[in-house]
Amino acid sequence: MAAVVDTHAVASGFDAGDAARRRNNVAGAPQPAVVKPVEAEDKTKAKKAPSFLQVLDQWEWLIVPILVTAVSFFTRFYKIGLSPIVTWDEAHFGKFGSHYLKREFYFDVHPPAGKLLVGLSGYLAGYNGSFEFKSGETYPEEINYTFMRQFNAFWGAVCVPMAYWTAKELNLRRPAVWFVTLMVLCENSYTTISRFILLDSMLLFGTVATTLCWAKFHGQRKRAFEPAWFLWLFMTGLSIGFVCSVKLVGLFVTSLVGLYTIEDLWRKFGDTKIPIPELAAHVVTRVIGLIILPILIYMLSFAIHFAVLTNSGPGDAQMSSLFQANLKGTEVGRDSPLEVALGSRVTIKNMGYGGGLLHSHVQTYPEGSGQQQVTCYHHKDANNDWFFYPNRKDTDLDIEAEPRFIGDGQTIRLIHMQTGRNLHSHEISAPVTKADKEVSSYGNLTVGDEKDHWKIEVISDAASRDRTKIRTLTTAFRLRHEVLGCYLRAGNVNLPQWGFKQIEVTCTKDNKPRDQYTHWNIESHVNEKLPPGDPGQYKSPFLNDFIHLNVAMMTSNNALVPDPDKQDDLASQWWQWPLLHVGLRMCSWDDKIVKYFLLGNPLVYWGSTAGLGVFGLLVVWYTLRWQRGFRELSDDDVDRIHYAGIYPVIGWFLHYLPFVVMARVTYVHHYYPALYFAILVLGFLADWFLSPLRKSIQYGAYTVLDVVTIGLYIFFLPICWGMVGPNKDYSYMKWFDNWKMSDA
Amino acid sequence: MAKSLAAKAPSQARRASPSPQPAGRIPKPKSKAPKRKDDYTSDGVDDNDVFLLPISDYQVTILVTIVSAIVRLYRIYQPTSVVFDEVHFGGFASKYIKGRFFMDVHPPLAKLMITLFGWIAGFNGDFDFKEIGKDYLEPGVPYVAMRLFPALCGIFLAPTMFLTLKTVGCRTTTAILGAGMIIFENGLLTQARLILLDAPLMIGTAFTALAFNSFTNQHELGPSKAFEPSWWFWLIMSGLGLGITFSIKWVGLFTIAWVGSLTLVQLWVLLGDHKHVSMRLFTKHFLARVFCLIVIPLGFYMAMFGIHFLCLTNPGEGDGFMSSEFQSTLNSKGMQDVAADVLMGSRVSIRHVNTQGGYLHSHPLMYPTGSKQQQITLYPHKDDNNVWLLENQTQPLDIHGNPINGSTAWNNLPEVPYITDGAVLRLYHTPTHRRLHSHDVRPPVTEAEWQNEVSAYGYEGFDGDANDYFRVEIVKKKSKRGVSQERVRTIDTKFRLVHIMTGCVLFSHKVKLPDWASEQQEVTCARGGTLPNSLWYIESNEHDTLGPDAEKVNYANPGFLGKFWELQVVMWKTNAGLVESHAWDSRPEAWPVLRRGINFWGKNHTQIYLIGNPLVWWSASVAVAIYVLFKGLAVLRWQRSCGDYSNTIFKRFDYEIGTSVLGWAFHYFPFYLMQRQLFLHHYFPALYFGIMAFCQVFDFVTARIAVVGLKDHPIINRATATALLALSGVVFYLYSPLAYGNPWTKAECNRVKLFSTWDWDCNNFLDSYDAYSSLPSVAAVPTPEQSQAPVIPQAAVPPPQVPIVNEEPAISGAPPPPGHSIVAREERVEYRDQHGNLLDEEQVKALEGKVEFQTRYETRTRLVDADGNEIPQSVEPEPAVAPPHPDVQGVDSETTKRSLVPDEPIPPPEKSVEGVKEAEEKIAKPASEGNEATKLASEGSEAAKPASEVNEPIKKEEVVA
Repeated sequence: MAAVVDTHAVASGFDAGDAARRRNNVAGAPQPAVVKPVEAEDKTKAKKAPSFLQVLDQWEWLIVPILVTAVSFFTRFYKIGLSPIVTWDEAHFGKFGSHYLKREFYFDVHPPAGKLLVGLSGYLAGYNGSFEFKSGETYPEEINYTFMRQFNAFWGAVCVPMAYWTAKELNLRRPAVWFVTLMVLCENSYTTISRFILLDSMLLFGTVATTLCWAKFHGQRKRAFEPAWFLWLFMTGLSIGFVCSVKLVGLFVTSLVGLYTIEDLWRKFGDTKIPIPELAAHVVTRVIGLIILPILIYMLSFAIHFAVLTNSGPGDAQMSSLFQANLKGTEVGRDSPLEVALGSRVTIKNMGYGGGLLHSHVQTYPEGSGQQQVTCYHHKDANNDWFFYPNRKDTDLDIEAEPRFIGDGQTIRLIHMQTGRNLHSHEISAPVTKADKEVSSYGNLTVGDEKDHWKIEVISDAASRDRTKIRTLTTAFRLRHEVLGCYLRAGNVNLPQWGFKQIEVTCTKDNKPRDQYTHWNIESHVNEKLPPGDPGQYKSPFLNDFIHLNVAMMTSNNALVPDPDKQDDLASQWWQWPLLHVGLRMCSWDDKIVKYFLLGNPLVYWGSTAGLGVFGLLVVWYTLRWQRGFRELSDDDVDRIHYAGIYPVIGWFLHYLPFVVMARVTYVHHYYPALYFAILVLGFLADWFLSPLRKSIQYGAYTVLDVVTIGLYIFFLPICWGMVGPNKDYSYMKWFDNWKMSDA
Repeated sequence: MAKSLAAKAPSQARRASPSPQPAGRIPKPKSKAPKRKDDYTSDGVDDNDVFLLPISDYQVTILVTIVSAIVRLYRIYQPTSVVFDEVHFGGFASKYIKGRFFMDVHPPLAKLMITLFGWIAGFNGDFDFKEIGKDYLEPGVPYVAMRLFPALCGIFLAPTMFLTLKTVGCRTTTAILGAGMIIFENGLLTQARLILLDAPLMIGTAFTALAFNSFTNQHELGPSKAFEPSWWFWLIMSGLGLGITFSIKWVGLFTIAWVGSLTLVQLWVLLGDHKHVSMRLFTKHFLARVFCLIVIPLGFYMAMFGIHFLCLTNPGEGDGFMSSEFQSTLNSKGMQDVAADVLMGSRVSIRHVNTQGGYLHSHPLMYPTGSKQQQITLYPHKDDNNVWLLENQTQPLDIHGNPINGSTAWNNLPEVPYITDGAVLRLYHTPTHRRLHSHDVRPPVTEAEWQNEVSAYGYEGFDGDANDYFRVEIVKKKSKRGVSQERVRTIDTKFRLVHIMTGCVLFSHKVKLPDWASEQQEVTCARGGTLPNSLWYIESNEHDTLGPDAEKVNYANPGFLGKFWELQVVMWKTNAGLVESHAWDSRPEAWPVLRRGINFWGKNHTQIYLIGNPLVWWSASVAVAIYVLFKGLAVLRWQRSCGDYSNTIFKRFDYEIGTSVLGWAFHYFPFYLMQRQLFLHHYFPALYFGIMAFCQVFDFVTARIAVVGLKDHPIINRATATALLALSGVVFYLYSPLAYGNPWTKAECNRVKLFSTWDWDCNNFLDSYDAYSSLPSVAAVPTPEQSQAPVIPQAAVPPPQVPIVNEEPAISGAPPPPGHSIVAREERVEYRDQHGNLLDEEQVKALEGKVEFQTRYETRTRLVDADGNEIPQSVEPEPAVAPPHPDVQGVDSETTKRSLVPDEPIPPPEKSVEGVKEAEEKIAKPASEGNEATKLASEGSEAAKPASEVNEPIKKEEVVA
């Protein structure tokens, strides 16, 4: 919208001259703000007198990172194995790690990289994958869960020095850099979340690393195409690839880098002095570094995922039939006859992402025709079995005769094995998707009409070019209703409770040959007259599996919608997070158990939230002043606001707003990546407002901020390191009723 | 936004640099003092005030209006029956006249106007507009007058377009073209001939566009025009227009956004003009806009709701949406003051807080699933079956230590038995002598693990068991401050009822039970249900010891603002809830290409189908596309410092057409974010802006841009305009039978049906026009009375309390008893007097208005054998002992798990389902806006009872045979 609006400003011709004035200023009129760097120099000069301090000052770039890293490792690792029970989402991610060790195919909404690393940590710890990771259970002796947790904590601990370097790269002055680092170090929620077998520490690491690489890359902008520039470009791409492969939340920090790149290129495009080839080179390097490289890493994580998981497991049904047939220990495709004939008993799988098996049961539609329901269903049972039958005009099926094979263009009937009814459609709106036609089961072997007739249209066959026969697993076909001309479709729309929330099957009039939800293939096939074959010998291409799995992930992520009637004490809402309105109990609150409570450092949370508001006012103030013709900011100042202020704010919005819009159930830890950007903004504001002040006031203010941060961190540290004993002992931390670290 | 504005600065610098303008290319501003560099007056703008047009333009305006009127009013009486959403909007008119409260997702202005037109024409509100195709002539509904209001709006749309185009500086020819395109737009015409809200909405939007464009024109003329009468007039009109549009449909918000964003741009530029505009002057500008564009529309909008509330003073079918406080402001819904203190032994009705499901209710019908005990529901109306006696955990003891029994046991206790927080209660249902009960059985509809069934259990004289105990937990945050937080008081105390044995909490939610409970709302006992759905309060309270002088309470009056705000919230929620897909809905991406229309009405081989004029429609879309391409290119060139913007014509082209395209975008893209069902007619406001953009592009190309070369030949402008006009007229004519509902022939229909997605049915029309004359007169054909279930006379009336025996369970496909099948379900209404004697219709008529009717729902099952003979049914006596108790016998194993019945009898051969059902599918359906209200209506209509000298109530029984 902004683009449209501002062009009007330009186009209407109301405006003139302002820019000219600004240009002139840019050209180098004396600026009041020039004083600031001088001040900064003063500060360093002042420190020069005693030699020890001078050394410290010189080696600050090394000493401080080492110091904070050490403290960070201490706070993240200390007593990490205290609680021997499966805590919170360890139940999920530990279990997924086990699946890798057992090499059983599973399905989850998150990309595999983080869970692969969890699996790796288990492998390094000598764990064999046999533990169930049931929530609240005690770890058996043979699992070195302490090592697995330490492995995770490592990622969280490394964030602290990276925050230091990022703040430095964004040109914050030294005390502000320390303040930012301290806020990340002394953030209780970061500490707690890093100490368990979860993906969040890796996600946090990825987000922080991407921000750091981006800032470094930005720092090299004047030295384009030099080695350091390339290094940080590719490091940015690398970290984007990593963070997106851990959780899809990584896409938000990716969009931050994307926005920066677009703005950068747009400016270069406007700079008529840059020759076109150089411009093209800029575009190409970024496409390679920031798009192709991350995608390759992302795909690599899936390639490893598929390479490791070679056994059949709980996630099979989400994948295509062909993929399932290639897993060890699967039933799919085993000993099935290759080619399908009339009289064959088959199950028919929808080839759309997350598609199920064509299903019917005795229950009828409560509205519409009132005939028997037809749905799509992932669970395998006898109600998925269908017989291929000749159409009513054709000669009847003769069990004794030679099998007649089915091919492209043939018209057949499908008879539901359990109820003996025909797959049927008619001029009645489908129950949910009203624009489509209803599909039902109707009649029997003799009763019925030509509305039971379906014509087979072969789309493709992975195994052969011969379309005169349909093959188990490999042939993709559509079923066209002969009378209505519509196609059988299962589009991932769930029926209401009367249909057991199974997927609605409809007949759609849109003839879209590429619509995968109208594609079907034979999954299991039984026909005693035909010789058993091995249809599973064809591998499904990696790219197909990759896309299939990704779309299935998106679909089920969106399906994680909370039950509106159920009170969920763990879930929280977006507006609660920046206010630190609630915390989260990570385990049961029994007195005998070591208890962990997810809650942030109040100063960091409230301060950063307030900072966002203050920053907004700051920007509005200077913009309005600028439009009124006041030229009080130097180029440097504008640059600092732009890169150390506005970009982190955008980062915060990108990581926060999606959760506002999202319908799925949300938890406090979804705010953590956004919090990091809010911390950066607070650091910038401290720098902006304090650095023009007198040195003594500056030091005083920073000291207060730092001490309060550390103090609150230590005050709340028991919730991170584990609360031993009755929870009443910890009621001193319960400032509000919603902070439920204690029942008292 | 601010940042991107800042980014534009360099180009402004470039433009500002004094470059000699090529002579003769740019028209110089007429008669104006040389403008200073940063004066906000725009280049190349003339004063286009509507009041200063030449006389000839006014004559054209009148001419356009006349043509428009002829085209719109042609056969406006046709069709003579209810079309599409006339079902709703006609219906609302009746309710306004009757003053019965209803709830609709649209604000009231247009509906009030329709009502006004109907009322003036003598409509008394007796017609219910129940279904599409219902005849108007027979009941004498003044529907033509009611249609006249939308028609007038539609007629004035054309001259408004004409004037708007003149305002933005187009030639008269172009403006005529624009007006013509509006006149000959089939879709706009179709909407404007029926009792619908879209024509009023369109004129509101169009008027706002006219006013705001006029204002912009005045504003752009610079400081010399600011705060002049004309400037003020158009600013105020813009505000008024926004108020009108917003009070018709909430789509007006998009218009507000359009005006708002352009106003911000204007203010931004003003702010930058620091040589001419002092801060004081800027504040004046700012406040003028705040007043006219915010205060006026808001005030207008609220005034409309004021009138709305004034008109609707009686209870009606919309009650169910509103809170009890709101309902108590309606006539006859207001409640007598109730005794405040609730005591042990009080007879109370208990109401659910969060939903409008009503009172905790039980009736002598059993659950067909689960425990098969007596049902507990929420019932929205006052009824004896809502009364519960609050009993203590044990009966009180008399002086001898023996328990006092009976419902009056608590009357003479030494101390007043208040019900305090944490008190344990039993709730005794007096009419059926059972107590509120819960146990570990899944509820009938919500089969979640964390929900338990709630039933009524016991018999007269039964002492009850531990599963009858509920603990009262007062929720202090939601209760009125003071005593109400300490002990239970009527209305003021909100509490939870915790089931002692299982720890679950009495709960209800917006889930309807199936037919077997008359679709009343489900009540369950939930572990970990949300707090709002677990809250209850007591509405009526009687106790023998509480005399007339006891302390009383009543609902607090919410006042106008309270009612206004509550209604807004309910409208918003209902609107967002309209997500069910509709047979004729469409998504936004289909609109600009005119992919599909809406079937409005069909009868007697004629049809009304909403489809636009493809020529007009696509022209508008093309104009938008052209501008977007232009803009994309212009931005790229601007960033490369090509200096296009120093050309005044270029700049004006960008700004003027940009304004219209922005209007288009604001009225189009937000629909992508909406999950609710959408229809083609939602695109109309965007289309209006699209047509404007098209005419402006046309005007620029043929008359203003010198480079094109057409500028010097005005004849080309005129000829092209005439040709386009004629062409759209022809296309209009080709599709007009669908708009007017005129006779058509199959051949002609098929000839113009260009795409298969234009899904009107050509086979519906006859082969030739002659064939139509041989049809019986359209008006004379009575509405076919469809699907009226035959009323089977009831011979002997079985005793009232028959449990459902053979009622088919909702899901499990249990076969009916061998040899019998439930043939049909019928509903009939019987009237009985207090002694149970059946009354015939005449007697009922005579009594109507004099006595009160009470409704009772009853279900009976008749068994019919294959020949249709009724099988006498042995009536099962009411079990004298307690019905089977799951807690004792273990959980019923027959919970609704799906069972396979492989050899279920296959229905007798019939010709598929050709016939009734499939025919129904082809019928036009009203959009489901407000459908929910209608659904509740069936339950709510009896609520409007005449206050009368009540004799013994006459029981009205509904029998389901």
